[in-house]
Amino acid sequence: MGDNKEQELQVIRRKLKELLVSHLSLEDIKPEEIKDDEILFGEGLGLDSLDAVEIVVLLQRNFGLEVKDMNQGRKIFYSVDTLANYIHDNKK
Amino acid sequence: MYIAGMGIIFNRGRGLDILEKALEDGWVNSGSVYGVPEEVLKDKIVLKDARRADDFSKMAILAAHDALADSGLGEKIKPKLGIILATAFGPHATTFRFLDDILNFGDAQVSPTLFSHSVHNAAVSYIASTLQSRGPTLTITQFADSFQQALILADSWLEEKRCEYILVGSVDQVGKVMEYIVSQKLKFAPDGKIRSFNFSKEPECIPGEGSAFFLVTNNQKDKKYCAISGVTSLKEKPDLTILDSDGFAGDESLYREVLGKGTLVSSCAPIFGSMLTLSSFSAVAAALMLKKQKFYASPVRENPHNLNLCVENKAGKINSISCLRYDCNAKSSIINLRN
Repeated sequence: MGDNKEQELQVIRRKLKELLVSHLSLEDIKPEEIKDDEILFGEGLGLDSLDAVEIVVLLQRNFGLEVKDMNQGRKIFYSVDTLANYIHDNKK
Repeated sequence: MYIAGMGIIFNRGRGLDILEKALEDGWVNSGSVYGVPEEVLKDKIVLKDARRADDFSKMAILAAHDALADSGLGEKIKPKLGIILATAFGPHATTFRFLDDILNFGDAQVSPTLFSHSVHNAAVSYIASTLQSRGPTLTITQFADSFQQALILADSWLEEKRCEYILVGSVDQVGKVMEYIVSQKLKFAPDGKIRSFNFSKEPECIPGEGSAFFLVTNNQKDKKYCAISGVTSLKEKPDLTILDSDGFAGDESLYREVLGKGTLVSSCAPIFGSMLTLSSFSAVAAALMLKKQKFYASPVRENPHNLNLCVENKAGKINSISCLRYDCNAKSSIINLRN
């Protein structure tokens, strides 16, 4: 069961990294260079508030998920890991 | 007003050196569309704060940056620097991507970045923020006359002393939708060559893209190239007339009627491709010729009307050059440059 979840998370992480690079125009970064636990905003990957809005749209389009509460969003958008876990636990 | 600096990006690359080489080399077949290669738009230093910018904005940023850098005036003029950007169609490739997103995902799930970049003024905002200029900015979209109107406005701003220096330029791009429209409404040149001197009622075109910028000022001490002595009317017989007959504005037979007997004629359209803002690119070439006191041969030589074509690259005394364009309504506009 645990292995199965980890496999699903790996697939989600890989897809997320590809989507982040292509949708956020991270030209100099390859998806595989983004660490699972790398902080997305500020230090780390260096994303900003405009990127956060893009990620909201990206989650809607690709996973059918809406993030409306920004307090909740801060925790979800912390890293690829936290995003992947949120997607895994809430995917419709 | 005087030209203190210039920047250009077009299908063969970026910069005045590339333009000079293109003028030397003349026409080369660049395919059915004269697009700017992707690698030309990569500049990690100039574009470091423009990660999200689309190609339309990137072309404008790079050309505007280069015009300012070319002047050597740099930081000290930024508080007094205005920007006027001319575009015939705006960022239409981005606009159609945005519309596609609405169709594909619904209006609640379109990219906000894509929306903000579909606004015509996005490019000039990027230029202002990248260069950290603090003067007035404006985007003009008036199809074939956009660049001429931008020059008239720049002259007015300088006269009013709204700013002391202005980056005035143009940007236009090609895209799949533009190619489709051209294929339906106009005629593609099947061999990739624009024949500017055929003066056909149904001319052939090759859509092009790029950006051309001038840093202009009324301060004569900052003049690096030449003066723009007038826009819209021919004041005197120039040493060379550059025809912007690129097949993009329909019937070109009027060009033949307006040319005086013996007028030395050239065209840069076969180098840059067809664009309604082509005059800005021709004006960069003209300013370069005036600076170097050198005529560059017309890139195509088919001359069915026996015009006095400029047929060789040679040094010569040049005092004035005019860039002539007719729009779709048979209205002429002329940019006069003189030393």
